[in-house]
Amino acid sequence: MVAIFPGGSGLPGIVECDLDGFLDRFFQEAALALKLGLVAGAVLYQLSPLLTVGLPVPAFLLSEAQRERHLNRLLSHPIYLLRQACFLLKTVAGLCWGSHPSVRALYALPPYPPDPGSCRST
Amino acid sequence: MSHHAYQPKGPRFEAEADYVVVGSGAGGAMAAVTLARAGQQVAIVEAGPWREPKDYPSSAYGALRDLFDEYGTTVTMGRALWPVVQARVVGGTTVINSAIAVRTPSDVFDRWQREFDIPRAELADSVWRHEDRVERELCVEEVPAGSLGRSNELALLGGKRLEYENHVMRRYTKHCDGSGQCLQGCKAGKKQSTNLNYVPETLSRGGHVLSSAPVERVVFEGTRAIGVLGHFVDPLHRKRGAEFFVRAKKGVVIAASATHSPALLQRSGLRHPALGKFFRAHPGTGVFGVYDQPVDMNIGATQGWASIHYRDSPGLKLETLAIPPEMVAGRLSGGGHTLMARVKEFRHLAMWVCAVRAESHGTVKNGFGNRPSVRYTLDRADMEKLRTGLHLVAKTHFAAGAKRVIPGIQGLPYDLGPDQLHVLENAPLDPRAYVAILSHLFGGCVMGKDERTSVCDPNGRVHGYQGLLVADASVIPSNLGVNPQHTIMGLAGHFMERQVA
Ligand SMILES: Cc1cc2nc3c(=O)[nH]c(=O)nc-3n(C[C@H](O)[C@H](O)[C@H](O)COP(=O)(O)OP(=O)(O)OC[C@H]3O[C@@H](n4cnc5c(N)ncnc54)[C@H](O)[C@@H]3O)c2cc1C
Ligand code: SF4
Repeated sequence: MVAIFPGGSGLPGIVECDLDGFLDRFFQEAALALKLGLVAGAVLYQLSPLLTVGLPVPAFLLSEAQRERHLNRLLSHPIYLLRQACFLLKTVAGLCWGSHPSVRALYALPPYPPDPGSCRST
Repeated sequence: MSHHAYQPKGPRFEAEADYVVVGSGAGGAMAAVTLARAGQQVAIVEAGPWREPKDYPSSAYGALRDLFDEYGTTVTMGRALWPVVQARVVGGTTVINSAIAVRTPSDVFDRWQREFDIPRAELADSVWRHEDRVERELCVEEVPAGSLGRSNELALLGGKRLEYENHVMRRYTKHCDGSGQCLQGCKAGKKQSTNLNYVPETLSRGGHVLSSAPVERVVFEGTRAIGVLGHFVDPLHRKRGAEFFVRAKKGVVIAASATHSPALLQRSGLRHPALGKFFRAHPGTGVFGVYDQPVDMNIGATQGWASIHYRDSPGLKLETLAIPPEMVAGRLSGGGHTLMARVKEFRHLAMWVCAVRAESHGTVKNGFGNRPSVRYTLDRADMEKLRTGLHLVAKTHFAAGAKRVIPGIQGLPYDLGPDQLHVLENAPLDPRAYVAILSHLFGGCVMGKDERTSVCDPNGRVHGYQGLLVADASVIPSNLGVNPQHTIMGLAGHFMERQVA
């Protein structure tokens, strides 16, 4: 997720958008299918540089430029399921990054009030 | 009158009513209120919790968590994995939809008569009469000029310059103030989703509402439906609570949606040859236009502009659709610094979409964990429509002054200039190249005269059973080419009026 939204072009990176807090909530609350999909996407990203940049190492050992190339090739990979797995990772990362007050402010949008999660009990 | 929310494990909860209505969305709420106004006691049994506008989430993540069915994770099983989007909350998908109200086109009834032997004359007049009533009661209005926002205004300009039919949408809203938050539920209470009107009215007429109460199966005595059975589910932790049984003295009305209704009837033991078949949709996907001046698409009505010019040929509806930054970020291609440079343009983007009046059909089955499993793939002819639709959307962007468009199609350049429109004409026809969603769903329990090809008759009564009706999108046997809520409500009103006549 950090590789997907590293920050730049005047925008904050996902790390500055409370990624840890978001992931805590996500793993407590989300549907099992979504959690499994996210983990599968992350594992795939780490283990697939051989398929994209021809290097038999996990993604965290790549240089920044190689990582960027690996990520972009994975996201547009000709094998549909590979790019879908990575697309899910990116979609969830987007939910965290794009809803952060600092990002919204740059887009001239007010911060979101908290999601109350409440409902009628009577 | 009583509302029964989640109940933890303990003694079985029991209730009784004349009619039990399963689901409280467009079809269920309309069915319930029509029965209640006719003096029947109604129990609405709804899988999701009851949330008031003050309970609605603000973020898209919150919407997935609190309003969407299974976090929006249901996808088509076919060539492409496209999300099948629905809500799971009192009010159903009317809580998260854009509230666009379009009367059932006359040719839809002609087709139903021709292909499914559904008598046109009485049905059309009755459905339209109910639609008139809904328009009055749910205050259908044109999006107020001051609430349109720039994206909708630009689309009007593009449509005008290209000289095709296009218009400001009419929606079930009371003075929409253009907050662009329809997908997350209207916190301002302007959108007239059914949790704000027909569900509380049913309650006030002596009915019951069970919320967070997914029905596991319909209970029968022989071929007569006598009630529904399930367990409450904690809306936060999704833990199973107490068992419930709601007895129906006169009938059970299934209105759990085009995916959940067939799945529920299958796990209740129905063995109709047409059950779960003829699932259809209007798959939709969009093109971003990039404008010199900020568009700020989240300011203004979520959807405010449409065109039905291409409804008959090739079979498309064009619309604007504002999505929040957190969804745009996932929708623009690429990652890393490439993506950062792309999302920087967010304020200059306008998303407009095409919905395909697809003829392809698929199936719904009751899957693992009582989740519907949807098999569906667009055939070549429908993919050609989709491609034409994206071309038209892009053309409209350019007519409105966009300097580039971002089609989001695998294998195509990231963006295209006005002189590159022809690239879209040759875009791939493989569904896997597109990021599309299914939000208008039909079929699975289609109506018709022939018991071999339909599940229920033209009055919504399930063939071969007593006291069992269906009153939601699943009865619709064809596509519509327009937004379906009005038709679903019209049909549900018609069926229930017939039932109590
Ligand atoms: C994002 C989005 C935007 C849309 N915008 C528009 C629009 O602007 N205009 C328009 O006309 N249409 C729109 N639609 C489509 C429209 O909202 C639906 O077609 C319509 O709501 C379907 O009505 P329904 O009664 O069949 O199902 P729903 O409204 O989905 O209601 C089904 C209900 O049944 C409940 N349920 C499911 N299973 C069970 C069970 N086992 N037990 C108990 N309850 C159960 C669900 O929780 C849900 O509340 C949109 C759809 C989406 C997803
Ligand atoms: S645009 Fe905003 S005010 Fe208008 S109906 Fe949608 S959420 Fe409500």
